[in-house]
Amino acid sequence: MPGYEATAAATALARAQALDSTVRSGSRWFVRYQWLFGCAAAVAVLACGLIDGPAGAIVFAVLWVAAVTTLAVWANRQPVSRHGLGRRHHVMIAAWGLLHAAVITPGTIWFRGDLAWWVPGAVVVALPGLVGAWREGRR
Amino acid sequence: MTASHPRHGLDEVIHAPVRFSITATLAAADKAEFAFVRDTVEVSDSVLSKQVATLEKAGYVKVTKGYVGKRPRTWLALTAEGRAAFAAHCAALRAIAGGQAGDREHVAGG
Repeated sequence: MPGYEATAAATALARAQALDSTVRSGSRWFVRYQWLFGCAAAVAVLACGLIDGPAGAIVFAVLWVAAVTTLAVWANRQPVSRHGLGRRHHVMIAAWGLLHAAVITPGTIWFRGDLAWWVPGAVVVALPGLVGAWREGRR
Repeated sequence: MTASHPRHGLDEVIHAPVRFSITATLAAADKAEFAFVRDTVEVSDSVLSKQVATLEKAGYVKVTKGYVGKRPRTWLALTAEGRAAFAAHCAALRAIAGGQAGDREHVAGG
């Protein structure tokens, strides 16, 4: 019966759509993950540039290792990752790495302690996480 | 009945309702925990295990076992072959469902 067959097909497609929505809801943790990553990146860069001497590098290292470890453990405990999440995560990390190097390298050579460099720099290194979180929230 | 009917594009492995739901869930995910899929599809552990074994045997699902802390976890993911098969299956479903719209238009058009 063609009508029945078509109705069953439409029902199956609707079911697939509903399951996609469930997976999307279950993957909302990645919005918070990227938001926290962006904030941690900004705080770590500020600590690195604005705290005098080797203490700045030590505070940066401790903050960053603690933040990344916490985020990695938390991410590993999540029950589901939406399709494409791994690729988007790699893109975010690559963008952060490039911007981090672009801020830290000249900053530690020429602008140590200079708020006019480090505050905008902190915003810049936070952008991959914050933009990623915003985009993930809209998906 | 001809071989060109869209129903011939349906995948026999995916077509079963529970396996369709499992595949649809995994198609939306990079990976998902066994318990998440079980709760989402609303089946028991044993039913999910059996259906996943069928999908795994067909090469559609990859099963990975690991630990979160000291707790054992099983992760499920669609393989590239499974993703392609699900996409083809959904295309066939859309073609069949589109036939319904065509029938309705035909009826409406008198």
